[in-house]
Amino acid sequence: MMNLFLLGSRRYYVLSMIFILLSSLLDLVNPRLIGYTVDTALGRGTGRVALLVLFVALFAALFRYLFQLTNAVGTERFVKRLRDLLFSHLIRLPYAWHRSSHTGDIIQRCTSDVETVKVFLSEQLTSLFRIIVMMSLSIFFMSKIHAGLTLIAIGFIPLIVLFSMYFHGKIGKAFMKAEEEEARFSAVVQENLTGVRVVRAFGREIDENERFEKKNYLYTRMWIRVLRLGAAFWTSNDFLAAGRTMVVSILGAVLCVRGELSAGSFLAFVAYNAMLDWPVRMLGRIISEMSKAGVSVGRICAIMNAEEEDKPETPLCPPMDREICFDHVSFSYEDAAEEVLHDICLRVPEGSTVGILGGTGSGKSTLMMLLDKLYGLSGREGMSVKGRITIGGVDLKDIDTGYLRRNIGMVLQEPYLFSRTLSENIGITQETLDMGEVKRAARIASLEESVDRFYQGYDTFVGERGVTLSGGQKQRTAIAQMLIRRPPVMIFDDSLSAVDAATDAAIRKALSENIGGSTVFLIAHRVQTLMHADQIIVMDRGRILEKGTHRELMERDGIYRVTYEMQNGLEPKEAGA
Amino acid sequence: MIRRVLPVLKPYRAMVFIMVLMGLFSSLADSAFPLFNRYALDHFVAGGTLKGIGLFAALYVGVLLMQVAANYISMSYVGQIEVTVNRDLRNMLFRHLQSLSFSYFNQNSVGYIHARVMSDTGKIGSLLSWRMMDVVWNASYLIFILVVMFRINARLALWILLLLPAAILAGFYFQRKLVAVNRQVRESNSRIVGNINEGVTGVRSIKTLVIEDRISRDFEEETGNYQRMAVKAGHYSALFTSGLTFASAAALALVLWQGGSLTEKGWMQIGTLSVFMSYALGMIEPIQYLVHTVSAAIEVKVNIERVTKLLETAPDVADPPEVVERYGDMLHPKRENWEELKGEVEFQDVSFHYPDGEELVLEHFNLKVPQGTNVAIVGETGAGKTTLVNLVCRFFEPTQGRVLIDGRDARERSQLWLHSNIGYVLQTPHLFSGTVRENLLYGNPEASEEEIAWAVGLVAAGEVIERLGGLDAQVGEGGDMLSTGEKQLLSFARAILADPRILILDEATSSIDTVTEAKIRDAIRTVIRGRTSFIIAHRLSTIIQADVILVIRDGKIIERGTHDELMELGGYYHDLYTSQAFPE
Repeated sequence: MMNLFLLGSRRYYVLSMIFILLSSLLDLVNPRLIGYTVDTALGRGTGRVALLVLFVALFAALFRYLFQLTNAVGTERFVKRLRDLLFSHLIRLPYAWHRSSHTGDIIQRCTSDVETVKVFLSEQLTSLFRIIVMMSLSIFFMSKIHAGLTLIAIGFIPLIVLFSMYFHGKIGKAFMKAEEEEARFSAVVQENLTGVRVVRAFGREIDENERFEKKNYLYTRMWIRVLRLGAAFWTSNDFLAAGRTMVVSILGAVLCVRGELSAGSFLAFVAYNAMLDWPVRMLGRIISEMSKAGVSVGRICAIMNAEEEDKPETPLCPPMDREICFDHVSFSYEDAAEEVLHDICLRVPEGSTVGILGGTGSGKSTLMMLLDKLYGLSGREGMSVKGRITIGGVDLKDIDTGYLRRNIGMVLQEPYLFSRTLSENIGITQETLDMGEVKRAARIASLEESVDRFYQGYDTFVGERGVTLSGGQKQRTAIAQMLIRRPPVMIFDDSLSAVDAATDAAIRKALSENIGGSTVFLIAHRVQTLMHADQIIVMDRGRILEKGTHRELMERDGIYRVTYEMQNGLEPKEAGA
Repeated sequence: MIRRVLPVLKPYRAMVFIMVLMGLFSSLADSAFPLFNRYALDHFVAGGTLKGIGLFAALYVGVLLMQVAANYISMSYVGQIEVTVNRDLRNMLFRHLQSLSFSYFNQNSVGYIHARVMSDTGKIGSLLSWRMMDVVWNASYLIFILVVMFRINARLALWILLLLPAAILAGFYFQRKLVAVNRQVRESNSRIVGNINEGVTGVRSIKTLVIEDRISRDFEEETGNYQRMAVKAGHYSALFTSGLTFASAAALALVLWQGGSLTEKGWMQIGTLSVFMSYALGMIEPIQYLVHTVSAAIEVKVNIERVTKLLETAPDVADPPEVVERYGDMLHPKRENWEELKGEVEFQDVSFHYPDGEELVLEHFNLKVPQGTNVAIVGETGAGKTTLVNLVCRFFEPTQGRVLIDGRDARERSQLWLHSNIGYVLQTPHLFSGTVRENLLYGNPEASEEEIAWAVGLVAAGEVIERLGGLDAQVGEGGDMLSTGEKQLLSFARAILADPRILILDEATSSIDTVTEAKIRDAIRTVIRGRTSFIIAHRLSTIIQADVILVIRDGKIIERGTHDELMELGGYYHDLYTSQAFPE
């Protein structure tokens, strides 16, 4: 899987490693030059050595720059590829997969897990390589100067690395706890802000403030713990490093006095020894943090390995303005005992309108989702589907999913608006934005008046970061969005619930005048919305209880008539009265 | 700018003092270590003797240990100051938010306010702790080593001093570039996160609209944009760090060249040369840190401005001092002085427009609602129905005229007094994460089990609660385990349990199916008995029983009366009712 992501960025990493090697080698030249200066050049003019130092440093800097640049290019290429592949796969995963996943979790995988992998590649892996190069080279040069002293200098290293690994493990745990607490704390703030009207309406400011401060104190305590551990670690680590330097310096001085080491070699040795400080310090940290990257890669791959939506083997694109037929359709989730849909049979002639009345959990939305193949019909996604749905005699299973959905316009009860302008939202399915079409659709959806009230009209930014639209405005925008495509099949899934009765009627009137010939599924609570449909079905607990026209259903003593009478403020008549 | 937030450090003055002191000691010790090496080189190595090396080592270790202790103390204090300042700032902001009016929350998104409380404070906290400490440590270290260098050899020190302005100027140049490009990277990143969020939360719409390709394409465009920015940032920071190492090497070369010639003339010892080499190599980093800290501090200016702006935002609806004096404020109510609220409401010549608009929503509006009256409000979207009840609740105040509660101007009593006596069921119901029980008790934590059972029965929410798993089941974040209709049921029960004197139902049953609504209608009848109530509904069937029905159009009452009276009148209400009941 990582190979797929690394395509196109690997060569930059190889280049980067080469530059690391070159710059590290040059870095190690300078101490030798200092040693040489002190031992032999003093008294014969140091100007030339100084020039050499400058010259070496220039190339060291150049390679360092190249190493960082190639590293950045490779990393950003990798991140782009990873994000693009992940996102494109994500939105093509079955709707059922999304339903069973937590939004926050998915987003975390796409953001902070990606970040962890990025840091691993761009910082940890290259650092590790650099550390190994630096350490082996410095140790090599040191051993050339004095083998015994080198042994003492590196004797400390395993201790320091183990020590920092231990501490980083502890800090990491405390850090994670603090982050979890932060998430909870942040949720408390979020909730208070979204529910601020309720808080006010009940006068609960005092309790909310108490709740907030309690969380605030807890969160702060968690962080203090992390910071204390960090302070203890860094200072003790500093102490160990300084101690190592001190021991080497004093022993080196002793060796100098004994004549076993020249002053210049001593200075060079101390300089090499100092070069070990940084790698040693980082090693423990990197080792303990690298394990995180493995976890993140696993979490990302879990998304990538989830299977995309079903595709028929030979997808058909039959004409869609044909009779739609539900043939003994049953549907259930694998882990649930009760069926969501039970033996649904329904014939919808082309160009006719079906009204569906049913309470929450009656299965009406599920039925529509099956028609739009939002739930795969193969029953692979943890659900089982029986029976078949056909359009003009062609099994839905064999129809190209994209083609099907393009030809079925579906408006949801709580539609989603994208962070774009209003006109871009309405025309989101169009390659090029035709304002005439946008306005026509908006007019039919009775949205025009609302648009006029916006300061920037159709250019008003909506969605997450824009103007908040009311539920009714959102529904009407979604209707306009669907109308622009003039689909032969339209589904209104309780999508007029948030508009008032007069607007509801106006929209329905405009619809019937402007879009003849489409097959329409109309789900609503309001009988008034449904009564003109060619046939009306009443659903309850996954079954069709009543089926017929308004007149036929009114003659029966069923749910439909009761609902009608209740909505019109008439006391339901007693049966047989 | 920093001065405006400095007061938050006041309670921690002693800690700040110790922190600075310890930091100074630590940098002093750091600048002294090369001097130890010099002594070792000149005295032991060059002198060829080991006499006194024990004492030397002991002194070395002593200073080292003291520095470790100083570092530990200053680091823990810095951390502690950071998080406690953050905490105090968040508390201040949150408390202030509790006093702000509805209009503030209407005009600012949750995300925006959330970022003020959670992330701006963090930036300010780290400015006042780590950044401050960085300045103290690096500046003092630079001063110390410059002083030592000048004391040892003024000529060589002068040479090195020449490098300083160049390093500082180059540092600032790169920092400015880096800050600018990094901001673009961050902005692009937050757009990418927004896109991912959209892809996940809007996946159903993306699928039904078949716009996967388009959304992917837009996403790839943004990641491409990000890639360009990030590589640019990488380029600058690579230039910056390699320039830094080159500058260190240049300083070293300078010392070797100048110092070498001094040494060969016998004017300088090897030990002194090594001190200069250490300083030359160690000088560049503190300069860069200082430059970095200054530019980071400039960045925080924006955060400080945002926070102070929020803290200075005055609530549109505020209780005057004399009212606070008598009734207490939002967080310290004086309940003992609260009068009983009876429930008479009167609008006297009320005109109103929203703070962010010019258009009058209500114009010279007059209405007297006697105690215990049941008022139903009918009208088109945008006619001013919700505005009317918001004025009753004093979530907004009239632009002109006044609202009287029990015969006295609402402004004469505290907001909390009024809100504690009002039950408001909103059109978009909001539950808090927690159990069903916690939510039901939100308006009245003292309600008994019997009362809960009664309220639940009344609104016919028993089945819903049972399906969730009982009263102690979790409702999820924002109540997202429930449908809108179910949330409306529970928020209705919540309002009933609060036992308010004034009950307001704003489209409270719009998402509830007809059968359940019929049951609730009886509940409403029971609950409003003896209370003043305002009911807004689209479905006329729910309001037929009202004592008085107001038909509102463009902010004015155009019809007023009982159902029968209005039907007889044959006006707007009659048309509306007949069109709903007998369309054709």
